Amino acid sequence: MNIKRQEISSKQLAWVLLSPSILIILCVVIGPLVFALYLSFFKAEPIIGGISTKFIGISNYIYYFFKDPLFWSSVRITAYFTIVSLILELILGIGFALVLNKSFIGRGLVRSIILLPWALPTVVNARMWEWIYAGSSFGALNGLMKVLHIFPVDYDKVWLGFDVPLQNVPIIGQIMEWLGASTALNMIILADTWKVTPLVTLLVLAALQTIPEDYYEAAGIDGANAWKQFWSITFPLLRPVLLVVLVLRTMELFRVFDIIYILMQYSIRVVGVYTFETGMKFLHFGRGSALSFLVGLFILGIALIYVKLLYSEETY
Amino acid sequence: MKMRKVKIRKSISRIILYLLVTFIVIWTLAPFTWLFLSGLFPHKELLSDRATNWFPENPTFKNFQVMFDIKSHIGQRFMYAFRNSLIISGSVTIICLIFGTLAAYALARLAFPFKNNIVMSLISIRMIPTVALVIPFFVIIRTFDYFFININSSFHFYDTKINLIILYVTFILGFVIWIMRGFFLTIPHELEEAARIDGCTRIQALTKIILPLSAPGLVATGIFTFLLAWDEFVLALVFTKTTNSITVPVFITSLGSQYIHAFDQIAASGFIASLPPIVLALLFQKFLIKGLTAGSTKG
Repeated sequence: MNIKRQEISSKQLAWVLLSPSILIILCVVIGPLVFALYLSFFKAEPIIGGISTKFIGISNYIYYFFKDPLFWSSVRITAYFTIVSLILELILGIGFALVLNKSFIGRGLVRSIILLPWALPTVVNARMWEWIYAGSSFGALNGLMKVLHIFPVDYDKVWLGFDVPLQNVPIIGQIMEWLGASTALNMIILADTWKVTPLVTLLVLAALQTIPEDYYEAAGIDGANAWKQFWSITFPLLRPVLLVVLVLRTMELFRVFDIIYILMQYSIRVVGVYTFETGMKFLHFGRGSALSFLVGLFILGIALIYVKLLYSEETY
Repeated sequence: MKMRKVKIRKSISRIILYLLVTFIVIWTLAPFTWLFLSGLFPHKELLSDRATNWFPENPTFKNFQVMFDIKSHIGQRFMYAFRNSLIISGSVTIICLIFGTLAAYALARLAFPFKNNIVMSLISIRMIPTVALVIPFFVIIRTFDYFFININSSFHFYDTKINLIILYVTFILGFVIWIMRGFFLTIPHELEEAARIDGCTRIQALTKIILPLSAPGLVATGIFTFLLAWDEFVLALVFTKTTNSITVPVFITSLGSQYIHAFDQIAASGFIASLPPIVLALLFQKFLIKGLTAGSTKG
């Protein structure tokens, strides 16, 4: 009797505790998302005193998939941004973590310092790099290139320019152009990587610290060199954390908006920027909603993979 | 002979290690140091040739001072933005911690139907980008505001702090629940059971046993929330206009233009704006690293 009463109260308590959060999330996330789906079947524009709507069925989706070249080019640019950033972040993040996992004087201090880019607000990061990349003699990167004698004294590169990297290499140049790669995009990737690498480093470092020392000692006795040790011990043991980082970062890179919008406004159209431009600059709410819904759906798909990953690791 | 070879190899690898560490430190600190240095340049010297002028000839703190000068136009705007950001981020942190902790406790400890489905949908929902929600948000808020005008109410959502607080809470709440649930799962069941046998109710067990034990988790989650709210840009860009509600990111974005170089002001205000998050991160780094690993690798 007593046990049964307890069970009921536990269930009730759970709903009491959960209901405020669920209510908030239902009203302000699920609601608008469903509303975006609804709005995407309309031609919706602002008029004085409200918003005019006209039902047009799935025309907005047909427009994006079959008629709008900008949509597919924005998908390609976003894919380029995501993949190149991921590769850079993972290489740098793992490299830094391997170095910081060794013992050296001042290790604690260096581990604190590395938090700095991560804590820096995204907007400050964007404007800081905008200033570093300034394309005249007062730009810090141009200055650095001259100090290092990589550039001649009278040469200034426009870092945030639209020239395609490797344009003169036959096939690669054409692929780059097709993807929508530009020097500006590459420099933005570098700036974003600078900010995010610490996160990858810290996550990998935490995983590295759980690997017992004896594994390496045993491998050393067997005559395995550092390179072999990395691929046969470290890498397999890092795999779970790397998978999580991979999926988490893919999601966040795919929705990039802030840094690209601040540095280039609408001239590099990644999916996030294109959505914002359609909805908030041209005020095509219906069409923008269709795009929003597609982006949301895509990210939810990756999120489900992420959740599955976390669950397969979890031990109760 | 062999001993010596080993010794030389060891010292070479030490040197390489220290070179790599130096590279990491410079890579991390150089851009930020340059931001601070740029703030020290007087406006006239800012556009000098970088190949020779890395340091200002007449360093000045004027750019930093003007941000705190309520009488100047720019200082006034900055102080308002700073205050708005503090109010918004602080409120969001408190609200998220209260509701998030309650929900996380239920999800970590209590048995009830659809539990796993709720956990899964929470984590998926927090991934939906704000840039995808901004259009429906805008249409809904515009409709609401016209409704308020029609009934002659002076209340409105656009360009208010309350609007931003509500929007921020929703996209951060799922994240708070997820991390706090992770912390609760690490606290042994037995402690709570012992308290319950001693006659505590569930709520008492939560406030007297679980919450004190998860204090580090609460601190870490609180800081994460604060940083996320401090950092947010898209929603603030769309829904703020005047000093009534502009946040620091919007202020910093608004400085300068195609025709006016304002990088002395951008550097100074950017440096000041990044101090609260950096100080918080450094002070609580132990908790943060725990939170990062608990929140994103283990449930």
